[in-house]
This record gives sequence, C-alpha cells and structure tokens, in this order.
Amino acid sequence: MIKAFINELYRIFKDPGVMVIFIVATLAYPLIYKAIYWNEQITNVPVAVVDLSNSEQSREFLHQWNATPDIRLTHTCTSMSEAEQLLREQKVHGIIYFPRDFANQLADPLGQAHISLYCDMSSFLYMKAIYLSCNNVMLESMRNIQIDRYEQMGMDKEFAWSLVQDAPYTETALFSPTGGYGSFLIPAVLMLILHQTLFFGICMLGGTAREENIDQYSIRSLIGRSLAYFLIYFGLAVILLGALPRLFDLPHIGSFWDIVLLIVPYILAIIFFSLCVSVFIRNRESGLVLLISSSLIFLFMAGISWPKEMVPDAWWYIACCIPYTHGAHAFIHINSMGASLATTSTEYIALWILTAAYFLLACGLFYIRKKKLITEN
Amino acid sequence: MKYIFINIWRVFVRELKMMFARPLYLFASVGVMLLSTFFFLTLMKGGTAENMPIAVVDLDQTSISRRLIHEMQATPSVDIQLITNSYPEAREAMQQGKIYGIFVIPEDFYSDLVAFKRPQMDFYVTNAYTVGGNTAYKQMLTMVNLTSGAFQREVLRKKGLPDDVIMHRIQPLAIEGHMVANPWGNYSVYLVSTILPGILGLICLMLTIFAIGFELKMRTSHAWLRAAGGNYTVAMIGKLIPYTLIYLILGVGCHFILYHYAGFPVYGSTARLMFGLLLFIFAMEALGITLIGLLPTLRDALSIGALYAMLGFSLSGFTYPQMAMLPPVRALSYLEPLRHYYLIYVNEALMAAPVENSIPHMLALTAFMIAALCVSPRLHKALVYQNYPLK
Repeated sequence: MIKAFINELYRIFKDPGVMVIFIVATLAYPLIYKAIYWNEQITNVPVAVVDLSNSEQSREFLHQWNATPDIRLTHTCTSMSEAEQLLREQKVHGIIYFPRDFANQLADPLGQAHISLYCDMSSFLYMKAIYLSCNNVMLESMRNIQIDRYEQMGMDKEFAWSLVQDAPYTETALFSPTGGYGSFLIPAVLMLILHQTLFFGICMLGGTAREENIDQYSIRSLIGRSLAYFLIYFGLAVILLGALPRLFDLPHIGSFWDIVLLIVPYILAIIFFSLCVSVFIRNRESGLVLLISSSLIFLFMAGISWPKEMVPDAWWYIACCIPYTHGAHAFIHINSMGASLATTSTEYIALWILTAAYFLLACGLFYIRKKKLITEN
Repeated sequence: MKYIFINIWRVFVRELKMMFARPLYLFASVGVMLLSTFFFLTLMKGGTAENMPIAVVDLDQTSISRRLIHEMQATPSVDIQLITNSYPEAREAMQQGKIYGIFVIPEDFYSDLVAFKRPQMDFYVTNAYTVGGNTAYKQMLTMVNLTSGAFQREVLRKKGLPDDVIMHRIQPLAIEGHMVANPWGNYSVYLVSTILPGILGLICLMLTIFAIGFELKMRTSHAWLRAAGGNYTVAMIGKLIPYTLIYLILGVGCHFILYHYAGFPVYGSTARLMFGLLLFIFAMEALGITLIGLLPTLRDALSIGALYAMLGFSLSGFTYPQMAMLPPVRALSYLEPLRHYYLIYVNEALMAAPVENSIPHMLALTAFMIAALCVSPRLHKALVYQNYPLK
C-alpha cells in the first residue's frame, strides 16, 4: 500500500502533463478568473436619450438617473430610429424615451405619465443595471409627485407624506457587500477547478498506466493511490478555498476550520468518483473529452448559475451523484454566507455518503477489472 | 494536378480507416455535442426563473400581519416557503440554501399602521446566488409595492374617491420596459445561443489537435506524408476533409436545432448567422492546427487547447459584459474566436444590424486561419523530423 502510494507520487511528479493539470492549471485558473471579473460590477452602461417632451421634469429625471453609477447618458437623439441605430451598432445598450405628453400628464392631477425603457438583451447584466437604477429613480420622483397631488387635493403635507411613505422599507443584500458577479461566481468556479483538474488528472494517470500495462487494479493500489492524490489535493484545496478568498478580497465570512473539514470528504469523494470513471478510460487523452464536456454541464446541473429549484428533477437526481453539486453548495453556504458545518449538514453528509458509495464502487470495479485481466493473460 | 487529387484521396481514405479504428474520439465528440444540446435545451425549458422560495418573519403576529401574509401567498409570483417569528431561523434557512430572501414584518406593525407611524418593512436577499437572489428581490419589491398601494387605496377610498382616480394617484408615473430582441427575458435563448456553439468550437479544436497530434505521438507522420506523395498541403487537406465534414454537419445541425426546432428568434439574416457559425468552426479548427504546430506534443497541445477554449466562455462576454473587464483582459478577449462569433450572433440574431457591423468579426475569424498557415512550416518540420517527445 505504501509502495503504491510512493509509486503514484513518483508517477505524478515525473509526468509533466499531469503536473500541468494538477499544479499549474489549479493555481493559474483562479488568477485568470479573478482578473476577468476584477471589477465585479458593470457600471456606466451607455444609454441613449430620446426626449420628445423636452420638459423640465424629464431633464430633472435624466439628471438624477445620470448621477447613478450604473449608467451613463451618452447620446441625445431626436428620434427613436436614430437611437435604435445606435443600439443596433452596440454604441449604447439601452434607450430611454419620453413621449411628447410626459410633462402634461404629470401636471394633470388625473394623468399618468409613461417612460419607455429599451434594454439590450445581449447580456442580462445590461438589463439589470439599466432597469433597476431607472426604477429606483422613478420611485423617488413618483413619491414627490404623489405628495404634490395629495396636497392639491387639500391634504396637509404631513399626512400626504405619511401616506406615500406608509410602508417604507429597507433592502439589504446579505453576506457580500459588493454583490458583484465575481463574488458570486468565483467561489463556485474554485470548487469546479478542484473537481475537474483532479478528475481529469486521475483519468489521465489511469489511461497512461493502462497504455503502459501497469498493474493498477489491486485494492492496495487503490488505497495507496488515493492517499497520494489526497496529499496533493488537500494542500491545493486549502490554498484555493482557505487562502485565495482572503487574498482576493472575495467573500470569506466562514470559519477556516469548517472549510478544512469540508475539504476532506469533498476531495475523497472526487478521488473515488474519478477512480470509478478511470476504469473505463483506455488512453491518456480520453479523459480530456470528459473534462471539456462535463465542466459546463456539472456547473449548470448543480443549480448555481441557474437556481436549483428550476433544474428539472431528472437532471437534479443525476447532479446529486456528482460530488461537485454538494461541495459547491456547502462551500458557498460556509464561505459566502457564513454558515457553520452543522447548518450545512445536509450537503456535508451527502459528501460522506458519496465518498463511501464511490469507494465501494471503485473496489468492485477494480476487482472485476483485475479478474478480467487475469483471465485475459 | 491529377496526382494531387489522387494523393488527397489516398490520405482521405487512410484517415477514414484511422478514424474507424479508433472511434472513441469521434463518437465521444459527436456524443458530447448531442448530450450538451439535449442537456441545455431541457435544463431551462421554462426559460425564466420565477417563484424563488422566500421566508416571511412575522414579528407582529397580529390579525393584520397574518392577513398581509395571506395576501402575499395568493400572489402568483411569490413562493413563501417558511413563515416564522424568528429572524435567526429564517437566516439559517437562507444559509442552508432553502430560501433566497427574507421579508420581515416589524413588531408593532399593526399599531403603527393605525397611528400612521410608518412601520418599516425590511427585506433581505442573498447575493451568494445571483439569479435566485435577484428573482427573490424582484418578488419582494412587488410585495412591498402591493402593500403600499393597497394601503393608499384603502385610505383614499375612505375619503370617497372613485377607483380609477385612485389608480392614477397611486401610480402617477410608470415605466414600460422593453427587452429588445428577447421580449420574454428568456434565459435559455440568451445562454444556449452562445454556449452550444462554444461547445462545438471546443470539440473542433480538440479533435483537430488530436487528429494531427496522434500521428506525432504514434510516430506515423512519415507514413502520412508518404501517402500524400510527400506534399504537406495535400497531407493536411486529405486529413482534415473528413473532420471538417463532421464539424460542418454538427454546425448546421446545431443551427437548425436552435433556430428552427427550438424556435430561438433571429431578427436579422439567418444566412449570415449560419455563415458566422461556419467561419467560427473553421477558426477553431485553424486554432487547433496553430496550437499543435506551436506545441507539437499531443498532450501539451490538448491541455493548452482545453484551457484556452474554456476561457472563451468567460472572455466572450456574453454573461459578464466585456466592457466591465479590465483593459488588458478586454484586449485578450479578441484572441478568443467565440468572442467574435458572439458579436456576429448579437448583430445578426438580436440587433438585425447592417452587415458592416459583422464584417470586422468575420475578418477576425479569417485571421485565425491565416495564423494556421503561418505555423505550417514549423508543423511540417515536426512531421518530418519527429523531434518532439512522445507523450
């Protein structure tokens, strides 16, 4: 067993291809993703203005809106077709349109004024930035109009004020103060990097051993090899999950030791899962097909980018068999939302169950494989 | 001239034999494309995220707070999973990923309301899950506005005003939102339109690297060149024809499934969109040749190719817009063929923009093919001298 452990370590360090995947990719990828999502939020989205009302009220509205960080009014157009042209050329990502009767409708105590907002849907983040900031400005100015109108009706100012403010609210985004895209995505990507590089590395090593006819299917070898992977990946995982969020200024409100405790079953489950798959891998390169095809599917199936409540049941049951699904949710719960290990026990227990199940399955598959090899010889 | 065609034919036949002798890569690639198409089209069938579970913390516990909760439950877009009188309990449910938002009805809600003392509602959303959190946020905003509107309406009714008059007092200003080119806000249309071509490009890249790199790994490049009569160009053309045919079939199939079967909208020219996809496929194939030419070792080129192409999904800017990236990263994004395909897609499918807007990106995709020609001398040498490590 110890021999298998040392042998495997030797094979890993001797194999530049595996080293690239295990060490370089694992450490370089987080840096690249951090660089891509550095700004976290999209600001100053260019917007075109078509103001047919050309009134004081519309100008005041635009002035307030332009003061928000989300958007920037870059073009003033005289007609919709001119603005549409800018949108088509992607010079702006939104259009705000005030109809001719805007000011009159506001002045009319019974009128309702309309603003039209056109959002570029080529990225959902454009829409979010434009729509939410405009909505906030709208609610603010609406309140003032309401008060004016109630006063005109003869209510006293204090009462009018309390009426429009009858249900004031505060909104708080919990956990991540910036609420950026990187803060949300990178923790999930860190878990995916660990999962996929280890998965691919093990398949690659298994494929190579099979090309070289190395006997690798004894239970002793299974445990020894697993120990070798665990040793390397435990260290890598502590760096990626424990240290990087702190260094990178990503959310890290969880307990460091809870994360360490989470790493243990996560890495073990991935190792046994990958060993099971590696039994079917005949060549060194075959694992790559699995790597590229599975990464995006694992990410989406786990219900992180796309909420898990909206993942169809059939896909969700498959997702539950993949260590990534439980690992990623548990890590987000602990690291990004400050849950304790006890709070996220559902996922934690699931990881241990997967560890045990894939260990037994790997033993069985290794046993069958070995028997087959003996009869073949 | 006649010999050239005969030689191309010989290499082509040799390649077909090799393909079927080792079908794994081929079948795996076609299989991956089919699986991905099936997966992404079934994952987001509804296309929009709605009814995210939220919790209501009722600190007031009066008949009016209960009636409020009851009204909220009746609202179709709201899914109240948990009603509790303890905020810590709701917070823990959020940490467990069971809910995405918490709506707090304050203590003394009822008595404040009666005394016009402006009770304050608080709501909390998680931003550890972006889509879930945003959806919950919108739902709770609707809930607050509902309560606010309902309350004003009650007061004004008591003052004896008719309903239509009331309506315009409560809502004197309205925004009409228009989602250009995706009026349903369909997440599936938005995401799958770029992800599936991206996966196809990844397959083109890997399979091309594999087809050439395998000859180097197995030391069969001399036999390959011999079949081509010693001519490098003939060797490459003969070898790549069968793969290119497969890519084109997959590309046309992908286009057909997205824009005919699934009915994703194309506001501009379908023909130019398809042309863009085919150019993208050729660009990824050319990128594969470039990578194996620069790194004539199968496993190195495959690993680098996989890392390079995976980054394309982020760098193309279809989820996180390119304009929000740092300037050097923005520059790098143009080295990803997927970035150019995405922009052609935006121009053709969404914006119906004039062709001049797509042409620069079509030219950029062509540049990848020129790059492949530039590494040819190096790749040719590698095939002749086999002077690179085996594995």
